[in-house]
Amino acid sequence: MSHLIARATLPGGGASQARRRANHNPRRRNRRIGLAFVAVPLVFYAGVVLVPLAQSFQYSFYNWDGVSRATWVGLANYIEFFTDPVLQSTLGHVLVLILFFSLLPIVLGLLSTALITRRRLAGMAGYRFVYFLPQVLTSVVVALVFKRIYSPDGALNTLLRSVGLDALTRSWLGDFTWALPALGLIGTWGTFGFCMVLFISGVSSIPTELYEAARVDGAGPVREFFAVTLPGLRPQIAVALTLTITGALRTFDLVWVTTGGGPGTATLTPAVALYRAAFVNPQVGKAAAIGIVMALLCLVIALVIGRVSERD
Amino acid sequence: MRKHRLVSRTIATATVLTALFAAAGCAPGPSGTESASAPTSVSTDVANAGQVTLKLSDFWGGSEGEWIKSMITAFEKQYPNVTIERTQEDWGQLTSTLNLQLSDADGPDLATANNGWQSLGTLAKGNLVLNLDEYSKAYGWDSVIPSTIARQNEFTTDFKTIGSGSLFATPVARVSLIGIYYNVDKLTQLGIAPPTTLAEFEAAAQKAKDAGEIPIAYGSQDAPTAVLLGLQALYASADTINNFTYGDSSVTAAQAGLNEAAQTVKKWNDAGWFTPHHEGINYQDAVANFLDGKGVFRFEYTGSLGLTDKQQGTFKYIQLPQASGTGTVGVGAAPAAMVIASKCKHPDVAAAFLNFLMSKDAAQASADNGLIPLLHEDVTIADSMATLKTEAAGAAQISASNGFVPYFDWTSPTMLDTLNQQMQMLYAGKTTPDELVAAVDKDRTTFLEQSK
Repeated sequence: MSHLIARATLPGGGASQARRRANHNPRRRNRRIGLAFVAVPLVFYAGVVLVPLAQSFQYSFYNWDGVSRATWVGLANYIEFFTDPVLQSTLGHVLVLILFFSLLPIVLGLLSTALITRRRLAGMAGYRFVYFLPQVLTSVVVALVFKRIYSPDGALNTLLRSVGLDALTRSWLGDFTWALPALGLIGTWGTFGFCMVLFISGVSSIPTELYEAARVDGAGPVREFFAVTLPGLRPQIAVALTLTITGALRTFDLVWVTTGGGPGTATLTPAVALYRAAFVNPQVGKAAAIGIVMALLCLVIALVIGRVSERD
Repeated sequence: MRKHRLVSRTIATATVLTALFAAAGCAPGPSGTESASAPTSVSTDVANAGQVTLKLSDFWGGSEGEWIKSMITAFEKQYPNVTIERTQEDWGQLTSTLNLQLSDADGPDLATANNGWQSLGTLAKGNLVLNLDEYSKAYGWDSVIPSTIARQNEFTTDFKTIGSGSLFATPVARVSLIGIYYNVDKLTQLGIAPPTTLAEFEAAAQKAKDAGEIPIAYGSQDAPTAVLLGLQALYASADTINNFTYGDSSVTAAQAGLNEAAQTVKKWNDAGWFTPHHEGINYQDAVANFLDGKGVFRFEYTGSLGLTDKQQGTFKYIQLPQASGTGTVGVGAAPAAMVIASKCKHPDVAAAFLNFLMSKDAAQASADNGLIPLLHEDVTIADSMATLKTEAAGAAQISASNGFVPYFDWTSPTMLDTLNQQMQMLYAGKTTPDELVAAVDKDRTTFLEQSK
């Protein structure tokens, strides 16, 4: 939009004249009044977001217990984050969680959208409500419910036993191999409905002519999906990706309530490690470093997804 | 594009701000050299202190809450000029925010802290709580508190060592132990006498297993350590375990009995003595299982079963003597470290209240509330409190050998996490007792080096 503004000042007689008249430019004055209006929220925003952000950044260079005098350690906290095998493993866990929290729900959401939107089904609103329901539930409640389901005598094992699959029963959340996928599936269950509802609303904004044209050209349902639905849903997919991936990166409540990061450190996420460092063990500097790295990762992911989805 | 310019400008501003902050170079936390605050002149005269209101924050609920309430009432009756305003908070809530509360001008004057570096050590180092040495002299606390309990509240004033130096908190006339509970009915049905040695315990567990019972009610999903720490106390002397915990680098975890304890725990796990699928059972469910009769024995912190008056006597307590056969060493500590805030305006009155919490009246009040009394021997326990009688006998047995050892996880702020993780890995076959011990040593060494 900047070129528009530049052009607007031109008829007055060139750039130099425009600069001289700058103080009287009504646009500038408007902008100043605008700034005056946002000043209060801006100060508030600075107080609750920017200053703590700056403080965290500062803390991350110190070894500090949160109470007594801190000692400067330079980049040691960051180096520890990327060299400590346990903290390193949390990044691997996040990658697994991204698979379950983001990719799987989006694929399932696209699939169900493609199936649902092809034909008007009776009771559509009902389905949508049911699938969207997990999004409405408090995450702690969801976690507690699944903790029951996954427990040694829980619903899942009971179901497996009732169909004679006793060999498959296990303590799902206490098993080094299965705890992380089990947690991941809770996330899939939770975000799938959200993705689906998002995509269905996206499909409704795709012009029906495109579908008709595709059908006239002899496209089957699969071809139609890839040629019309998928490109049409690009903005919605970008939104879903951004929200779910950053959600996976931030995963805390689900893990904290179900496994606390265990067994061993098999389900430890950066957010849980951060919480432990900040509030359980007095290692504020380390916690701040984890937080800064996570914030940067979220920012980079959001920027990359934004760029890629906007590209034509 | 203006939107982009706005974004980049915001980012630039934020970067400049952060850079300014970092460049300002002032380290977080208080500046200047640290000196622990200690009152210079102390008085034990409360009656003439004038009208005083003290704020107490504690994490005691249930019968512990009843105990502290009765203590406050009795103290206020004795000194009508004193009012104590109590705030009860959840344990995790209070321990994680106590540093902030104590630095707040309107914060508590008195509080329950958790022992060890994680909580009390940090508060003492941060100059948030008073050095109580002068009060200890004035009230003669050193003759009341057994040395193994007093050490739990001591730090040197350079804050490099725990377990010696000045007193920064006091215990109360109650104690919390780790020991073995048994289901009285089950044991009678199995025809087993309550075991009095580790060998007898193992024989009893085997017999229970053969009879199709679950020998040890257990859950290792979130809190697996009680059995390991309970066993550790049977394998090493009180001094060795104390010295290890308090950072004496000449003592290793293996010398402190941890290797034998880990081997025994693994042996029991492999023998199937624990509740099946314990890796998926959390602490609360494990306790509930035991109370429901699913299990004959359980290693547990005293007071954690939450027995009702009616259940008193259906479960009883055993404090096993050392595996070597002589003396009793047991994990035991006051249920909290009582601290006085540095900014407390009436430290004399606050100290008098701490003194009151260690009095014989306080010990008797614990027994009356079903809690294990400490510091005083001539306490009467009602016959209806059959469980408490066995628990108090256990405490007396440890007291007689001066064999109290602190919770092992006071060794370093991260020790509890390390133990939890290592034990879960031990059960999954992902680590060995030797590796567990090495991990514990490494955790402590890292911490000791950092705090130098």
